Amino acid sequence: MLLRRDFLHSALSGFGALAWAALTQEQAARANGGAESTVGSPLVPRATHFAPRARQVIFLCMEGGPSHVDTFDYKPKLTADAGKPAPRGRGRLLGSPFSFSQQGQSGLWVSELFSNVARHADRLCVLNGMHTDLPNHAQAFLQMHCGLFQFPRPSLGSWVLYGLGTENGNLPGFVTINPPQTNGGAANYAASFLPAVYQGTRMGARNPAAGAQISNLRNARRDRDSQRLQLDYIQQLNRSTAGALGGDSSVEGLISSYELAYRMQGELPPVLDLSEESAATQALYGIDGTGGGGRNAGPFQPGGGGPAAFGRQCLLARRLIEAGVRFVEVTSGGWDHHRNLQESLTNSCRGVDQPIAGLLTDLAARGLLEETLVIWGGEFGRSPAAQGDGRDHNNKGFTLWMAGGGVKPGLAYGRTDEYGLEAVEGKVHIHDWHATILHLLGLDHEKLTYRHAGRDMRLTDVKGNVVGEILA
Amino acid sequence: MNRIRLAWICTGLVVLLAPGMVGAQESEASERSTIERTPPQESLFEKKIRPVLVAECYGCHAAGAGRQVKGGLALDTRSGLLQGGDSGPVVVPGKPAESLLIAAISHADQSVAMPPKKKLPDTVLADFTEWVRQGAVDPRRDAGSSPPRSANDAAPHWSFQPPRRATAPAVQTGAWPLSDIDRFVLARLEARELRPVADADWATLLRRVTFDLTGLPPTPAEQESFLAAPSSSRFEQVVDRLLATPAFGEKWARHWLDVARYAESTGKTVNFNYPHAWRYRDYVIAAFQNDKPYDRFIIEQLAGDLLPYDTLQTRAEQLVATGFLAIGPKALNERSGLKFELDLVDEQIDVSSQAFLGITVACARCHDHKMDPIPQADYYALAGIFRSTETCYGTAAFINARRTAPLLPLPPEAFPPAARPRLSDSEKRQIEGRIADVRRRAEQAQDPTQRFLISGQISLLQAQLDAYESDGWPKLLAMGVRDKPAGRERRRGGGFGGFAGFTADGSRTIADSPLYERGESDQPSARPIPRGTIHLPGLPALRIPPGTSGRLQLAEWIASRDNPLTSRVFVNRLWYQLFGRGLVPTPDDFGQAGLPPSHPELLDHLSLQFMDEGWRVKPLLRSIVLSRVYRLGSQGDSRAMEIDPDNTLLWRNTPRRLGAEQVRDAILAVSGQLDLKAPVGSAVALAGDGPSVQRRPGGEGAAGAINDPTNPHRSVYLPIVRDNLPEELALFDAADPSLISSDRPQTTVASQGLFLLNNTLVIRAADLLSRRLVEFGTVEQRIAEVYALCYGRGPSPREVEQARGFLETSRRGRETQGQAARSDDREDWSALCQALLASAEFLYRL
Repeated sequence: MLLRRDFLHSALSGFGALAWAALTQEQAARANGGAESTVGSPLVPRATHFAPRARQVIFLCMEGGPSHVDTFDYKPKLTADAGKPAPRGRGRLLGSPFSFSQQGQSGLWVSELFSNVARHADRLCVLNGMHTDLPNHAQAFLQMHCGLFQFPRPSLGSWVLYGLGTENGNLPGFVTINPPQTNGGAANYAASFLPAVYQGTRMGARNPAAGAQISNLRNARRDRDSQRLQLDYIQQLNRSTAGALGGDSSVEGLISSYELAYRMQGELPPVLDLSEESAATQALYGIDGTGGGGRNAGPFQPGGGGPAAFGRQCLLARRLIEAGVRFVEVTSGGWDHHRNLQESLTNSCRGVDQPIAGLLTDLAARGLLEETLVIWGGEFGRSPAAQGDGRDHNNKGFTLWMAGGGVKPGLAYGRTDEYGLEAVEGKVHIHDWHATILHLLGLDHEKLTYRHAGRDMRLTDVKGNVVGEILA
Repeated sequence: MNRIRLAWICTGLVVLLAPGMVGAQESEASERSTIERTPPQESLFEKKIRPVLVAECYGCHAAGAGRQVKGGLALDTRSGLLQGGDSGPVVVPGKPAESLLIAAISHADQSVAMPPKKKLPDTVLADFTEWVRQGAVDPRRDAGSSPPRSANDAAPHWSFQPPRRATAPAVQTGAWPLSDIDRFVLARLEARELRPVADADWATLLRRVTFDLTGLPPTPAEQESFLAAPSSSRFEQVVDRLLATPAFGEKWARHWLDVARYAESTGKTVNFNYPHAWRYRDYVIAAFQNDKPYDRFIIEQLAGDLLPYDTLQTRAEQLVATGFLAIGPKALNERSGLKFELDLVDEQIDVSSQAFLGITVACARCHDHKMDPIPQADYYALAGIFRSTETCYGTAAFINARRTAPLLPLPPEAFPPAARPRLSDSEKRQIEGRIADVRRRAEQAQDPTQRFLISGQISLLQAQLDAYESDGWPKLLAMGVRDKPAGRERRRGGGFGGFAGFTADGSRTIADSPLYERGESDQPSARPIPRGTIHLPGLPALRIPPGTSGRLQLAEWIASRDNPLTSRVFVNRLWYQLFGRGLVPTPDDFGQAGLPPSHPELLDHLSLQFMDEGWRVKPLLRSIVLSRVYRLGSQGDSRAMEIDPDNTLLWRNTPRRLGAEQVRDAILAVSGQLDLKAPVGSAVALAGDGPSVQRRPGGEGAAGAINDPTNPHRSVYLPIVRDNLPEELALFDAADPSLISSDRPQTTVASQGLFLLNNTLVIRAADLLSRRLVEFGTVEQRIAEVYALCYGRGPSPREVEQARGFLETSRRGRETQGQAARSDDREDWSALCQALLASAEFLYRL
C-alpha cells in the first residue's frame, strides 16, 4: 500500500493531469476573471471571484416534481375552496389533505409530511416563488440541472467543479448518487462541452436498494505498484492517440478518468463503508438495516418502503462531502404523483423526511453545515387543481429550499397566488436559482464561462439574477 | 440563437403562426376527416374559428403560451373562453349582439377593439357572428393549452412537408467529391470557408468500416488481404463482403432493438420474465441480414398477424414480428384492468410514433400536444386501434403479478426453433412432486396469509410445466398481437361506461375508444372517437374496414411513400450510427421541439434515394460508406475546431468510443473467445417464466447468467432483463431497455476505467490474448500480432520499443517483489495485452 503522499504525487505528476493542465489552464484562468490559478491539474482548488459563503453542495433532488402545496407552500384558501373550479379552466381545486403548522422561531409553515425536516425550520430558506419554462419532466429536469434543455449543456455540478476544482483529487469532484436514467439521463450530470474531467461520477444507479456502490474497486491479480506501471503504459498509448487526433477532448477525458479510477481504488472504499458510522448516526438517518424500498424493489419487496435506502445515500453524501468532494447530488425518484396523492405522496415523503432531517442534524453537529449548501427540490411543482385524486404538473409556481452555507435561515421568500398556481411575488426562475447557487460559492455566474462554438458559454446562458434577498 | 429558440419555445406556436398563413392550404384529407368526425357546429369552429383564434388571439390570450394572459382572458381553452376575462364574459351563446368578443373584433368600440392594430376581414367577422348565433359551440377539451387542431393550421413544420428532390450543389473543389452526398456536404463546408481534413489511412478505414458495419474488429487475415494492395475498388469489395456477413445483421439489429425498447422482462414494479422475447430479437437480426425492405419491416411489426402468407414459415415470421408491440415494460401489479389496458395502449402508441415517425404522440393522452399539432382526439383515435388489439405477452401469474396474457402459438409445421430441450419424464415428475409438496405445506399452514403466500408458489411451478406440451416438447410460442373479436360497434347504451364491448377490465371487442378527460380512466367522453391516426399534410385519413382493428391500415399509412416522416426518420437513424450524430441532431424528435437538420437537402436526397431503391438498408449504407466524407480522417484541425467544434458540418469523421456491445465483442474477438455462431434462445428463455432476478422455487431467474464472464456469444444475445443490464453493457452506456432510445450518451467515467483495469472479464481476456501470441516466435512478431489484433495495424518502431520497455519494467517489478519464481513472463505479456485492451485506440473507432 502506498502512502498518501505517494497518491498525491501520482495525482499531480500523472500523465493525465499534465495533459489536462495544458488544455484547460487557459480556460480556467479566464473563468476566474484572470485571477491566478493554481498550476497543475484542472481539478486543483481554484480562487473564487469573491469570498465564498459555501464551499460545497449537497443537492437533494426529488425527481418527478413534488407538490409544493402539500409540503412547504401553505395555502389555506385552497383547502377552503376545495371542489370549486380552478382559475383558468383547470378543473376543480383539490385541497391539501395534509395539515400544516408553523415551526420554530421563524414560524415557517411546514406540512405534517415533513415533520422531521420541520424541526430544522429555522435553518431553512424556502423559495416559494420558483418557476421554470415547461411543465414536461424531461425538459424541466434538464433545465434544473443544465439551465437549458434545448441543447446539451454542462450540468450545474460540472460548472461548480470547473469553477472551484476539488479538495480531494483522489475522489471524483462531482458525484451523483442514484441518478435517473430517464428525463435526460446522463445529460443531467454530463460535462457536455466542458472537459470530460468535470463530468459527474454516478454511483449506485444499478442497485439503489443495496446502497450506493462502485464495482471493480479491487484487482485480484496486481498490487498497486505493478498496476501503476501498467497504467503508465496505458496512458503512454492514450497520449499518442490523443496527439494523433490533435488533442481530442474525449481521449483526454479518458486519460484523466483512468487517473481518477486508479486513485479512487485507494480512497473510495473506506468512504463507502457506512459500517464505520455509529448506530446512533445510522439511526439519525433512518437506517434501521431492514432494507427500504428502492425504486426498483423486486416482487418480494414491494416499493415505497421506509427511509433506509435514501438514508444510506444521504449518509454517504455527508461522508463524501467530508472527504472533500465538491458537489454531491442524491436523487429520490417517483415524485410524479398524478394519482392517489394522499397515499403516494405520504410514502414518498416518508422515504426522505427522516434522512434529510438526519443529514441536517449531522452536518450541523460536525460544523459542516456552515460551509455546505444543502438544496432540496424537484423539477417543478404540482397543480392546485385535481387530476382525479392526484395533481398534474405545474411549472409556474413551486418551492425549492436551501439550507446552510450563506443563506438566510428561517426565511420564506416569494409567494404564489392564493391557490399556489403561479408565482406572484419574489419570483425566482431556475436561471436565478443557478446564479444564486454560484454566487454563494463565490462564483459570478456571468464570469464563469467556457468558450465553445465561438461563444463564452454560461450556466445561466444570457439570463439569471442573484437573489440578493436570501443571502445571509 | 439559443436565446431565440428559448423564447420561441416559451411562447409556443404563436410565433410560428404568422397571420395570412392560416387556412391557406387546407388539405382535402383532413378536411374530410374533420367533417366525418364532427357535427356542423364543431366543424364551423374547427374550420373558421379556431384558426383565427390561434393566429390572431393566442399571442396575448393563451394561458398555455407561457405568459400572462392579457385582460385575464384565455382563449386557448374552452373554459377560458366561456369564463371570459377581467371585463366579464366575452361570449353569450346565441346572442352575437351581446357578446363582447364580437364587439371587439368588429372594432365597433375602439376601447375594446381587437386585435388592437388591425381589423379582421368582414368574412371572418361574419363567421364569428354566425358561430355565436349557433350557440358558440367549442369542442375543445383540455386541461391546459391548446395548440392548433391540425397540421394545416399553419404552414407545416419542415418535417411534415414531403421530402424535396434537390440537385447536388456546385462546389469549388470539384475533384474531392465521390458522390452527391459529398457535394452536399462540401458545399456547406465551403460556404463557411472550411476544408475537410485529409482522408483516413487505409488501415484506419478498414477498422472503421468493419466496426461500423459488423460491430467487430477486422481479423489479421482480413487486414492482410486488403492492406496488401488497397484501392477504392477493393474497398468496395470489402464493403460488399461486410454487408453480406451475418454479423452485419447482428450489429444493425441492435440499433433497432434500442429503438424498439427490446427486453426480456416486464421491468417496472414486478419484474417478470418474457421467456419468448428472443424470437423478436432474432426476427430483427434476420430482417437486417436479409435486407428486408423497411416499409415491409414496419408493416410486419405493427400488423404481421393480419398479413396474407404463402408458407407457414412466413406466417410464423410475421407473427413474431408483432412482438414489437408486446415487449414493452408493464406494471403487472396494476389493480385496475382498465388502467392497465390504457397504460399498455399508451406504451404502444408511444413506441410506434417515436420509432417510426420520430415524434411523441403520447403527450396527447392527457391534453393536446404542447408543441406539435396533435390534438387529444387524435391520440384516442389511435388508442381505439390498439384497444381493439389483444396484446399477447404471457408472464406467469403470481400474487402481485396479476395481469397475465396469453401468447401466440406458432404453427409447428413451420419448425420454429425451441429454446429448451424436451422435458424428460423424470424432470416432469420432479416438478409435479414439488407442486404436491408446496400444496401440502400450504394446507398445513395455520395462518391464512401464510397459506396464501405459499400457494402463490404453486402458480410459478405450474408455469414451468405449462411451458411444455403433454409429450414433454416445449410449446412453440411467441409474443405478439392479434385483433380482438369483432363485436357490435354500438355508440351508446349497454356495457361499461355506456359502451358496448367495454368492461371494467378494458375492452373485449373491436371498438372505438372514448377520449379520457385529462387521461383519467374514470372520465370517458360521451362519444367515442372514431379509430384513425394523427393528421399529416397530404396523407389521407385511414379507411378501416368494419370488423378490423385498423392496425394494418395504420401500418400502411406509416409505411407509405407519402408519409413525410418515415423515410427521413429512419435514414437519419442510419446516418447517426455511422457518424455519431444525425443530420437531424435530435433523432427522436422531428417535431417542433427538435432541432432542424444541418443538411436538409442531403437528408431529403437520402430519404428519396432510400425509397426509390425499395426501402433497402444495405444499398443506402453502401452509398454512404463509399462516400468521401465517410473516408475522412478523424484528426482535429484547430481552425475547424474553433468554428465548428461539434463537427456539425462534417469536416472530419468524428472519433468516438465503441458502443457497449462492440467493446465486449471486440474484447472477446481479439482474445479468441468469441463464438460467432448465433445461440438459440437466451438465458431468460432457459430460466422460464417468473421473477427475473429474485430467487424463486425451481431456480434463480436469469440472475446468474446476466454477468457471466465466460459467455462466448455476441453481446446482442446477452440476456436483457430490465433494470438489470449486464454490467459491461450498462457501464459503457448501453440503452436502458425501458426507454425508447434513438441515441446513446457517451460518458467517460472512472467506473469504466475501473472495469478495464480490474474486472475478471478483461483480465481473463488478456490472459487468453497473450496465450494466442505464444505461437509467434520473436518478441517483435508477438507485438506486431497484438497490434494487428487490437488496433488493426502494425506497430511503429517506436511503439515496439515502448512495448518492449513495458515488458522489461513489468519483469523487473516482479523480480523486486520476489514474484519471479512464482510467475513467468506470461504475466508480463498478459499485462501488456490488458493495457492494449484498455487503451483509447482499442476502445475507439477512429
